[in-house]
Amino acid sequence: MTISKQKNGNALTMAVAGRLDTITSPELEAALKDEFEGLGTLIFDFSALDYISSAGLRVLLAAQKQMNKQGEMKVTGVSEVIMEIFEVTGFTDILTIE
Amino acid sequence: MPEKSVREMSELERKHYSLAARVFHAAALHSVILGLLCFAIGFGMYLNAVAQDSMKDAWEKARGSVEAMEAACDPAEYARRVMEIYRTRDPAETAGDAYYAAFDEVSADPEYQRMAEALRGCRTEDMSDFFFAVTDKEGGRVIFVADTDPRPGHSYPVGRQVKVPGIVQRIFLRHTEGDDFPRIYYFLPSRGVVCVSGAYVREGDPAAGFVFVMTRATDLMGGVRRFTLQYVVAILIAVVVMGYILTRHMKKTLVAPINEISDAAAAYTRDKRAGIRETEHFTGLRIRTGDEVENLSLIMADMERDLYGYEENLTKITAEKERIGTELALANRIQENMLPNIYPAFPGRDEFDIYASMDPAKAVGGDFYDFFLVDDDHLCMVMADVSGKGVPAALFMMASKIILANNAMTGKSPAQILTDTNAAVCSNNRADMFVTVWLGILEISTGVLTAANAGHEYPVLKKPGGAFELVRDRHGFVLGGMDGMKYKEYELTLEPGAKLFLYTDGVPEATDGEGNMFGTDRMLEALNEDPGASPSGILKNVRAAVDGFVKDAEQFDDLTMLCLEYRSKEGEGT
Repeated sequence: MTISKQKNGNALTMAVAGRLDTITSPELEAALKDEFEGLGTLIFDFSALDYISSAGLRVLLAAQKQMNKQGEMKVTGVSEVIMEIFEVTGFTDILTIE
Repeated sequence: MPEKSVREMSELERKHYSLAARVFHAAALHSVILGLLCFAIGFGMYLNAVAQDSMKDAWEKARGSVEAMEAACDPAEYARRVMEIYRTRDPAETAGDAYYAAFDEVSADPEYQRMAEALRGCRTEDMSDFFFAVTDKEGGRVIFVADTDPRPGHSYPVGRQVKVPGIVQRIFLRHTEGDDFPRIYYFLPSRGVVCVSGAYVREGDPAAGFVFVMTRATDLMGGVRRFTLQYVVAILIAVVVMGYILTRHMKKTLVAPINEISDAAAAYTRDKRAGIRETEHFTGLRIRTGDEVENLSLIMADMERDLYGYEENLTKITAEKERIGTELALANRIQENMLPNIYPAFPGRDEFDIYASMDPAKAVGGDFYDFFLVDDDHLCMVMADVSGKGVPAALFMMASKIILANNAMTGKSPAQILTDTNAAVCSNNRADMFVTVWLGILEISTGVLTAANAGHEYPVLKKPGGAFELVRDRHGFVLGGMDGMKYKEYELTLEPGAKLFLYTDGVPEATDGEGNMFGTDRMLEALNEDPGASPSGILKNVRAAVDGFVKDAEQFDDLTMLCLEYRSKEGEGT
């Protein structure tokens, strides 16, 4: 998994590529941890994401809960495979997917 | 550095690295070099002193000879006459009878002869050259007035001229006013110390001549040889004595304490190998040298104490790890026993057959299944997957399982059970963990299955005579993720012979060594391999297909499956 951050004012885009699973999720969680302060918009770019496991979903859920308090969160570039996972797990109900 | 360990060395090899021997060698070498240096300096000073004395002696003798000549006549007069005759001669004609005949008038003079006699009378044994001469500065020559060499034929006649090298001219033939005659000495290994001096016949008069004296201090060298021999013997004795003293001193202050430390180290490793934990090899050392060695022994003592402390600590940690391992194994067993795992699960209930299994990826997993009778006619089935792995997931799973079961036992509908369980789990969930749950309640008498899905995988249904197919059911959000979520339920009617297969994502997401996932298609294929098999047979088939797919790749996720076979409606029999 590779993560690239791009900050634009108080908006942050996190492009995640590869597999977001039990092993790699803590890395994303750590990368996000210090970014929340003063953040208005958090965008996840999943164009290059191959797979997301429940551990990855947990990180998204935590981020969504945090951003509910301070701004908005969007998920972009969701592939069919990832979309299916979102649908099955009901994450489509809580995420803003564009 | 030696390549062998000290333990492997022979006594002889160890000696080679002995500090005492090195100290002795260094001390001896040091003494020899110092001795030779002192010898060179001393010898130089000795020679100089002897030569100074010798030169002074030569100078005084020259002075005395001039006075003796002046008592006989006026030597300057003869110097002047020789010079005059020399000047009248053709510069080309500097030797031969005709040339020397010109000086006969001088040599025949009785007064000159008295003067020459006086000069000869002043000659001493140690003189090699002793003569009276004048200089021709322009021509760089010395013209003899009177020579004293007693050997027959060696004495130069009056008027004999000798060309002298430039350096000698500069030193001896300056004849400047007030200048005392220079004294020099030099050392030739074949001749020993040679001293040169002399005296001007009339000081301050450039036209006057000079008496030249060269002495050879022959007996001087004998003294030097004796001196050298004695000195070398003295140095050798000093070397041995100093080496011995130094070595003894070093042995006492350095080698012995170091050996004590290394003995302690050897004893320490021996004890450690023997498994003795508490030792006092270094702490028992009493080295009081007041230097780095004492410092080293103190550091080693500290190290011994610290290591003991670390070892104690390590033993504790290891024991702690073992304890945790045992507890994990226990937890694993408790978890396993929480799930119904005795088959047949409902002896005497022929209307259905149910079988389930769970293989956690880690010792304790986050997946779980459950099935129980809510009442005689209602069978509740649960398939769930907690996000994450290990102990936290297992704890979360336990809590979720109990809350779900408690809710189900009160007779609520599946949607209500999920809604209430979500509320309960969310109220105390600080870790952002969640659980996906599929929960269904089968009315055994009618085959009506009411189910609700909180973010879980699609169930698989096989209708009688048909194949296993995914049921694309309505999905709600995972449990424990968001407070206030509402869940909806749906109904399916199972005909006798229908089979329901539930699983967690560990099955479709089982991954082979190249990162390919097993997928739901392969799962359906495996299910349909022998759709008529019993629930336990179905599970075996899927498991075999998964194992055949992932081969040697590590099992990444928990593998949990459940299969229900609905055989007959109540009273219809099989």
